[in-house]
Amino acid sequence: MSGTEVAAWRARLPEAFAPPPRRRLWRALVAAAFLAWLGWALAQFGFTPARLWQGLSGLAAILRLMLPPSPGALWGDILRGLAESVAMALLGTVVAALLALPLGFLGARNLVTATLLRFSIRRLFDGFRGIDQLIWALAYVRAVGLGPLAGVLAIATADIAVLAKLYAEAIEAVERRQVEGVAAAGGGWAERLRFGVLPQVLPVMLAQALYFFESNTRAAAILGVVGAGGIGLQIAERIRVRAWDEVAFIILLMIVTVAAIDWLSAWLRQRLIGGRR
Amino acid sequence: MLELRGLTRRFGTVVAVDAVSLAVPAGQMLGIIGRSGAGKSTLLRLVNRLVEPSAGQVLHDGVDVTALHGRALRGWRRDCAMVFQQFNLVQRLDVLTNALLGRLAYQHGLRRARVLLTGGFPAAERARALAMLNRFGLLAVALQRAETLSGGQQQRVALCRALLQAPRLILADEPIASLDPANARLVMQALREANRAEGISVLVNLHHLETARAYCDRIVAMQAGRVVFDGAPSELDAARLRAIYGLTEAELAAEAEAAAARPAMA
Ligand SMILES: Nc1ncnc2c1ncn2[C@@H]1O[C@H](COP(=O)(O)OP(=O)(O)OP(=O)(O)O)[C@@H](O)[C@H]1O
Ligand SMILES: [Mg+2]
Repeated sequence: MSGTEVAAWRARLPEAFAPPPRRRLWRALVAAAFLAWLGWALAQFGFTPARLWQGLSGLAAILRLMLPPSPGALWGDILRGLAESVAMALLGTVVAALLALPLGFLGARNLVTATLLRFSIRRLFDGFRGIDQLIWALAYVRAVGLGPLAGVLAIATADIAVLAKLYAEAIEAVERRQVEGVAAAGGGWAERLRFGVLPQVLPVMLAQALYFFESNTRAAAILGVVGAGGIGLQIAERIRVRAWDEVAFIILLMIVTVAAIDWLSAWLRQRLIGGRR
Repeated sequence: MLELRGLTRRFGTVVAVDAVSLAVPAGQMLGIIGRSGAGKSTLLRLVNRLVEPSAGQVLHDGVDVTALHGRALRGWRRDCAMVFQQFNLVQRLDVLTNALLGRLAYQHGLRRARVLLTGGFPAAERARALAMLNRFGLLAVALQRAETLSGGQQQRVALCRALLQAPRLILADEPIASLDPANARLVMQALREANRAEGISVLVNLHHLETARAYCDRIVAMQAGRVVFDGAPSELDAARLRAIYGLTEAELAAEAEAAAARPAMA
């Protein structure tokens, strides 16, 4: 294509070759504003190359102290803490799922025709979802004291709203025909829920609860740091006395546990959801 | 006797069923034909109150069905079993439990609570359901999930569910439209048998006039929500048909075939 042809096309449709000057100026301004904000934010947090370098070398020192990992003298405490974390996650998830079940039914558009009730329940779910597990843990530690009960309550409270929302969505996706079959046979609302809706949604609900259990075993480790029971307490104590080799050992154990639970739950979910043609 | 009086149902501006009055004597087998959208499904669903009427009444042996609610409505739905074109089985439940759903409305008080809680039915009910499944050649698949069955098998399960309701009336909404000829014959014969042997009234929506002629005592033709023909099968000859629909029987059948081939029109 010759230069004159190119020029001709450029004259005909200039926007196809470069954005108009107005837009270019606009883009430059946005980019400059973003860079200025980034620089200011980094300065605010004391983000200097020197501190970054210091931090990295500090991390390297810790990593060196971690090797080789060692169980230390308190094997039993570590295992008990780990088991406690898993138990907290399981119990918290089970409690959340049991409470989310009726709430999910109440929040489902195809079941609850009272729009105001359903709407307020849905907004309540949204509100609860904005509060993190750790905040709940801090609150419950004050309310019921140190220990795993606070952890279980924190996990359950944080998950109820999310699970209820997911459950409501699963219920809204049920096939109406199957429920109608139960209604046509003379089933009342209880029968329609039990035999028409529940068989359709239960596997999905169980699978979601399992997924939450997985992520809660990871989260439960941190709860101990604020005193809500579990392995987190053991880690916090050892960091305080700089027993980094024991910290490393606990972290390795946690990785193995979480991986095992992930694998088990993935297998279970597969079995629950699968089985369709 | 089932009696419809000025039964009307509007959906927005569409009048799906328009002032239909019919009297169906007990023990009659009534075929309802009509083109797609004529209001056949809506008519049947008005009878068991899956759809509420905009105006008019349904009476059964003098009882105003349109005024029933709660337990009485459940009782009425138990008495008029429904067979759907798409079977409407609960896919994840096994065949036996799907059949047993026909016995749900017979469980009261403590037994109802137990069934709801455990999902398990009393042994006597199970035995009754197994006998029914056996009658329709379904014993071998009784413990399989409904979703693993072929369409013909599923419709037979739906028939078992309907008959286990020990109904006085069966409403069948295009029960054979998604079936192969052999299963279609089996289902129509079973409806005929229930009608003849047990005196159950049958209201059946059909695409094919030919099928209606072969099995029904009386034929009602609908057009745009209204009843435009009501009489013996022999009266609905080619001339009458042309006068009503402006089509020959073959053209009507071809149109129905095309409508049935469209996926999942309820
Ligand atoms: N739930 C609904 N909401 C809105 N319109 C509806 C509803 N059910 C039926 N209709 C309308 O009512 C009219 C009659 O529908 P109906 O399903 O009774 O016809 P039909 O004779 O059974 O047709 P087909 O042979 O296609 O099954 C149609 O125009 C349909 O669009
Ligand atoms: Mg229809």
